[in-house]
Amino acid sequence: MTTTEHNQDLSWLNDVTVTDLERDPYPVYERLRRESPVAFIPALGFHVATTKETCREVAANTEVWDGVISPAGGRTFGHPNVLNANGPEHDELRGMVEPSLQPAEVNRYIDDLVRPIARRYVEAIEDRGHADLVTHFCEPVSVRSLGDLMGLQSVDSDTLREWFHKLSVSFTNAAVSPTGEWANPDGFIPGDEARADIQRVVDPLIDRWIVEPDDSALSHWLHDGMPEGETRPREMLYPTIFVFLLGAMQEPGHAMASTIAGLWTKPDQFEQVVDEPKLIPRAIIESLRWTSPIWSAVARINKVDTTVGGTFLPAGSVVMLSYGSANHDANDYDAPSDFDLTRAPVPHLAFGAGKHACAGASFASEVCRIGLEELFEAIPNLERDDDHEIDFWGWGFRGPTELHARWEV
Amino acid sequence: MPEQHDVRLKTLETQVACAADQNLLDAFLRANTWLPHGCSQGTCGSCKMQVLEGEIDHRASSEFILTPHERSEGLALACQATPRSDLLVEPVAEVADDGVVRHPLRDVLGTVSALEDIARDTRRLVIDLDEPLPFTAGQYVELLVPGTEIRRQYSMANAPADTASIELHVRRTEGGAATAGWIFARMHVGDRVEVRGPFGVFGIGRPQNEPAILVAGGTGLAPMKSIVAAALAEDLVPELWLYHGGRTEQDLYDVEFFRDLDFRHDHFHYRPVLSEQDWDGANGMVTDAVLEEFPTCKGFAGYLCGPPAMVEAGRKVFKRRRMAPRLIHQEEFTDASDLARR
Repeated sequence: MTTTEHNQDLSWLNDVTVTDLERDPYPVYERLRRESPVAFIPALGFHVATTKETCREVAANTEVWDGVISPAGGRTFGHPNVLNANGPEHDELRGMVEPSLQPAEVNRYIDDLVRPIARRYVEAIEDRGHADLVTHFCEPVSVRSLGDLMGLQSVDSDTLREWFHKLSVSFTNAAVSPTGEWANPDGFIPGDEARADIQRVVDPLIDRWIVEPDDSALSHWLHDGMPEGETRPREMLYPTIFVFLLGAMQEPGHAMASTIAGLWTKPDQFEQVVDEPKLIPRAIIESLRWTSPIWSAVARINKVDTTVGGTFLPAGSVVMLSYGSANHDANDYDAPSDFDLTRAPVPHLAFGAGKHACAGASFASEVCRIGLEELFEAIPNLERDDDHEIDFWGWGFRGPTELHARWEV
Repeated sequence: MPEQHDVRLKTLETQVACAADQNLLDAFLRANTWLPHGCSQGTCGSCKMQVLEGEIDHRASSEFILTPHERSEGLALACQATPRSDLLVEPVAEVADDGVVRHPLRDVLGTVSALEDIARDTRRLVIDLDEPLPFTAGQYVELLVPGTEIRRQYSMANAPADTASIELHVRRTEGGAATAGWIFARMHVGDRVEVRGPFGVFGIGRPQNEPAILVAGGTGLAPMKSIVAAALAEDLVPELWLYHGGRTEQDLYDVEFFRDLDFRHDHFHYRPVLSEQDWDGANGMVTDAVLEEFPTCKGFAGYLCGPPAMVEAGRKVFKRRRMAPRLIHQEEFTDASDLARR
């Protein structure tokens, strides 16, 4: 139940289902931004923060708020992972994943890593004249880039895509019954399968990296900062590996696809960006605001009683930071549901804020940039295939499910 | 003499003196410090710079090209803005060392040595210069209309190796101060003319691996003639096509000149195209002729010069044939009367 100072009747939230949110979360969140910026959604079993102000307040105040993973997320990844660790444990995990993701380091390797991958996937489709860009370009470029960085060259792109799809199903299997039980326990089966599969494939790689370290990110995770002759225990690594294999694999692809879909809503702007590749970063930024890939997947839990956005939250309340909603906050953006390259670039929250802000912001943005540069360079006559609708899906993670394009060959 | 201000360029650690009534682009180009720019008359936006310190006057900068939001973020059009104080600035576009030789902007006097009608409403104007004016093929100069402060832009049609005189192609504009009022009226061989230049980035600045397709409409042929001369003399491209579009044969000129080049050079191809007259050559829109001849333009570079509608159509054709947008170069005619409307 939500106790608010707004005296708003929020009983309508009892009728909101996870399926509704996955299909289109915006109407519910728009109403919440107006009526109660922080509110309890019974179907989820936790609170959501929906405005930029409340998201920022919760994300930034580490005195009151710890990072926590949503219950379904915790069930999917296990502990400790970089999302729900706090204090020294979080510092260690962050310190483990950050070196290869720091912007200066990303600038050093990103072009050599991503451009050949993007070219390869463009070459595979460029003479076909049509393609579902999600399946044949955005997702493969995204998973191959990160996969190669992590040291997973031996895992083919389709397997990496299958893994993140399965993990995603589990992660977003958030629905609970009125008694707080999982509404759909079978929804965790795909994630459990993927985890077993991942361990089967990655365990031998870890065995090798322990004795033969290389420059891959996972090899560094094992060795960096450890005393001579010791490696980080793999149980310490796996939950964060799962975090990467879901979020970091899936989201650059979502962002790339949403950028194209957004530009297709404004054909003039699409044309302009194809003509002037220097506008691609700006298009990506607007797309991240317009359809934030990590729409609502990052949570916090309060250590003491507090009130945010007029809603009282007893200690131990889980609050989901709904960045996808915050980025449609009408206080900051006119006509927020419009994609518009020319809008004033008020900073968005797509990468979160505070200590748990996304470590891969630079990497992800660069993967998108290079992917789109190569796509528009090779296929400047790309256009939307109007025979197919563009359906966006997802409440935890959001992006187009398919993106059909055609061009003259 | 108007007050001078020091303008520092952050990236290159260069400093120039700029008069209070002089635009920033002019000051840098005169000092032979290359800055990205295109039209030099406030319409293309390619000379946008960030003013990091100091005050500027935007002068005639149009709100269409430089929005109020951009102004509030400290952006300025270098070809329009004048300094009100010492400045620290940084161009928005990259100032890359791209291996292209740049020439300083200068004011040069010259004498009209030839003025002839070469096509419908079109004149060839040759000006012998008092001193050489080095330029890169594709660049343009401004002529000062005598007795006014009006300057008009014309691309050099001569080979850049020839620096003693410049050849310009001028099309008459009804009521135009420079054309109907001067070049087509009271200009005579022997007249003295004030020339300022060179400006512009259009052209093939250095040897390239991509074969080039040049598409010109009307007097858009001028820079192409210079580019073709430079490309053949300096072996800048592996293969070169020149399309020239007009309505009827009356609009074509220098046909024999290009036919002869085509005959003498295996890797140069000349394609005149007429849109409103049946003849033994190609018919239709000049850009459609490109579409017809090239099943793909992948790996080619494209150069477009002519009226805005032709340039727009050419860009679409090149993209439809999958030429990489970064390899599409264009120079639009900007009509002075359009500017006033913006």
